Amino acid sequence: MPKTTGLPPGTLILLILRVVRPGPLHGYAIAQRIRQLSSEQLTVEEGSLYPALQKALANGWLKAEWATSDSGRQVRNYRITTKGLKQLETEQHDYQRMADAIAIILESA
Amino acid sequence: MITLFRRVWHLVNRSRRERDLLSEMAEHRDAMHDPSRFGDTHRLLEYSRDAWGWNWLDDAMQDLSVGMRTFVKSPSFAITATLILTFGIGLNVTLFQMISVGLLRPPAVKHAESWVRFLRAAPHSTTSTVPYPLTQFVNDNNNGVLAAVILEYQSDLAWGREAEDEITASFVSTNWFDETGYGAAHGRVLSDALDGRADAPAVVLSHEFWRNHLGADPNLIGRVAYIDRRPVTIAGVAAAALPGLDFVVPDVFLPITQREYFYPQSTLLRSWSDEAVDMYGRLAPGVSATVAREALRTTMQAAAAGHKEVKKDEWLEPLLATSNFMRDGERQAVLAVLSLIGALTTLVLVVAAANLGNLVMSRATGRVRELGVRMALGARRTRIVRQLVIESVPLVAMGALGSLGFAWAAATTIAALGGFPPYMDFRIKWGTVVLTVALALISLVVVGLLPAWKVAQQHLIDALKDGGQNVSRTLDRARLRRVMVVAQVAGSCLLLIVAGMMVRSVQRAIRSSAGFDYERAAVLSMPLGRYGMPVDARRSYWYQVKERVLANPEVEAAAIVTAAPLGGRVFETAYDATPGLRTLTQSVDAEYFDTMQIRLLSGRVFNASEPDAVIVSRRLALEMYGTLDVLGRGFPLSAGGRSRSSADVAKLSAPEGTIIGVAADAHSIKVDANDVAELYRPLTVGDFSEVELVARARTDADRLPPILREAAMLDRRVIPGARVMHEDFARRMQGPRMASAIAGGIGMLTLALACLGIFGVVSYGVALRTKEIGIRVALGARQPALLRSIVRQVLTPVGIGAAIGLVLAIPVGVALGSEPFYLENADPVAFAGALAVFASAGAVSALWPAYQVLKRNPVDSLRHS
Repeated sequence: MPKTTGLPPGTLILLILRVVRPGPLHGYAIAQRIRQLSSEQLTVEEGSLYPALQKALANGWLKAEWATSDSGRQVRNYRITTKGLKQLETEQHDYQRMADAIAIILESA
Repeated sequence: MITLFRRVWHLVNRSRRERDLLSEMAEHRDAMHDPSRFGDTHRLLEYSRDAWGWNWLDDAMQDLSVGMRTFVKSPSFAITATLILTFGIGLNVTLFQMISVGLLRPPAVKHAESWVRFLRAAPHSTTSTVPYPLTQFVNDNNNGVLAAVILEYQSDLAWGREAEDEITASFVSTNWFDETGYGAAHGRVLSDALDGRADAPAVVLSHEFWRNHLGADPNLIGRVAYIDRRPVTIAGVAAAALPGLDFVVPDVFLPITQREYFYPQSTLLRSWSDEAVDMYGRLAPGVSATVAREALRTTMQAAAAGHKEVKKDEWLEPLLATSNFMRDGERQAVLAVLSLIGALTTLVLVVAAANLGNLVMSRATGRVRELGVRMALGARRTRIVRQLVIESVPLVAMGALGSLGFAWAAATTIAALGGFPPYMDFRIKWGTVVLTVALALISLVVVGLLPAWKVAQQHLIDALKDGGQNVSRTLDRARLRRVMVVAQVAGSCLLLIVAGMMVRSVQRAIRSSAGFDYERAAVLSMPLGRYGMPVDARRSYWYQVKERVLANPEVEAAAIVTAAPLGGRVFETAYDATPGLRTLTQSVDAEYFDTMQIRLLSGRVFNASEPDAVIVSRRLALEMYGTLDVLGRGFPLSAGGRSRSSADVAKLSAPEGTIIGVAADAHSIKVDANDVAELYRPLTVGDFSEVELVARARTDADRLPPILREAAMLDRRVIPGARVMHEDFARRMQGPRMASAIAGGIGMLTLALACLGIFGVVSYGVALRTKEIGIRVALGARQPALLRSIVRQVLTPVGIGAAIGLVLAIPVGVALGSEPFYLENADPVAFAGALAVFASAGAVSALWPAYQVLKRNPVDSLRHS
């Protein structure tokens, strides 16, 4: 799988699930939203986005459905499932715990 | 589980889903300011597939198609490999098919699990048949442990107004059909309501008899037919698939209650001493065989109280239908023999798979450069192993399909040649398919996985530098290859020896039967007891018939005997003085030895009245007394013979007397047995309840049966049976002959496989060393030295393999030493013969490729790259 730039490893799925939680988004919008929400600090490469979306679909965290966008294009929207919400919660918790642990080490060193 | 379902659903709809993903990515790219940053959509598609976990399947399909292509492109290899596996797997599947159809299967009757057969047992003896009145007594007084009792009594009868055809009949209880669950194909079957009376004779024809002898005419129902010259009404035709409880299908079924209609004088239905009928019972629900046995002890004691013929300590021993009416010991013996045969056929599969594994490894060795390139491009070792294994799948699949065809053809041929009854269904069933798949998977491990694992272990990338020569050489010398050669040689040696022993046992049977003249003899039997003739009258009748027979100029000699050669029941005794030897006792008249051309080595034949005289066979004299000089000595050596119980022995008898003669060995009763000896004693009046007459023709035995029949019909009521002895002999030897032919065929095929393996190893080794051999030849090496150095490679594994085969053959021979194969333990001729055959075939297959390369010009060999 290609490397993502600017994203800590293993966090892409977490971010995807987080940005689609408020409502369904298509692939392009997901990438845009991550960039916007991170004040353009984090960029998701397309090469990583689609395999990650497929992984989320395969695990039943997301559901995909075709819709027409505001610009009249056919787009595929991803909606978070109940299982996806649980996964988001777990990943968020795990990430927080790891970040705290790393912070403690950094502060003590 | 839902995740798995989702993934499978994705796989099913994969092409649509991938189209969706591609168009989605196209939309995304179009929406970007700089679409070139999006990357290669096909690469992304590949990564996305990974997310669903099905990429391995795509790889496998690719490898499979490569395998299929290889298969098609090298047809000679494909055909050889398929045939090798077909043979290896097919033999095992055939054995399974034969066993599952013909053996170890409970009878196909209603409630098969609750049927038992009752033996009449006493502390020292067991009989398989019981008196009819006892069966009725048990039926009426069984304390509720039996839900039903059914009876069978096999009998030979005559069909037609003039009794022209001999047929087999089963006199059965009228509930037989209801209880076993068999219906009628036409008309009706016997029933309690219609056939209970003794004055309404009805017959049910077996389907086969109706079809083969009566032209399958449905209008026969209700017509009158004649059995033993008496009119009966044809009530119906039994269903075609009717194996019954004992797997014997007679020509006709008659109600046992109407037996006296045919034989008014017969005492069978009233006599407590006439042990005649086979008794089966259906256990009441919830009653085990053990409970039934204990409950019926009381019944037997009650019977003993009223009838002196039944002893107080007797009981009825129930044998379960689910155990094929065998005792635990008998069943274990059968299972042991079957397991051993199974082990031998498994050995054939091992030889076949090892052989093919070697071939596959040789082919893979030729591909080390290609595999090296794959590894250099990033393939892991597991991927290489997977590729090679999957490439072998088409081979194994074809072998499995072929083996199913082989099993079907072999089982059908054996069934047709062996005269198995038509209700035995040899069609391929699911169990057989499952076994085939299981064996195919095991073969795949040997044929695909082991060579692949060995190849993948090598430094394949290094193979790119030297053209794969080093790796090829390492693989050529791999221990796995040698182990495979050892397995092939050991297996084929063992099978050859076993086949040799089987052929020898048939030869021995034929040779021992030369101890009596069966070619020119015929047998006459007359069931005089059926006509109510007292024993004294029977005796004079038999002697009158003998006179009439001897009066015919075609007859050279005639004699009366309790059990004619190749048939009849004999008394079997095991004496303490001759452990491991079964003594078969026949009562004969003075002319028997002359009639059967059995030589008297010393002494004389019986006089008119010397009831205590016995004549022993040569083997019995040697084993019991250690000498042939035994005339006048008492028999047996130490008083008190130890009786051996056997289900087939009607009465047990241990004769005692003075030896007046020693006869040559003539295994006239059990021709193929190697643990029997003969004992003759004079006929007594009591013997005339069941005797036969043997006659020797001056010219041709086939002329005797009509002469014997005519002579026997002194009393027109008597319906005699006559048969020529050479037909009995042919029938008796059919099984052993077929078994030894099959074993011989298997032995030779396995030998061919092992030779192919040796040939492959040597020729491959030679191909790798062509250059070296060329140099050595050019430097003046002599041919014998070169041959030695080439062949040395296989000498050790072949030697080890042959030694293992020889050592294993000894216990196998011992295990198959008794029934049904009677192999000679450690038969030196079989061992030496098998070794000689193997050594010559092995030497040719090892020397041939070596000789071929040495025949070439050494300069050519040097040019070879």
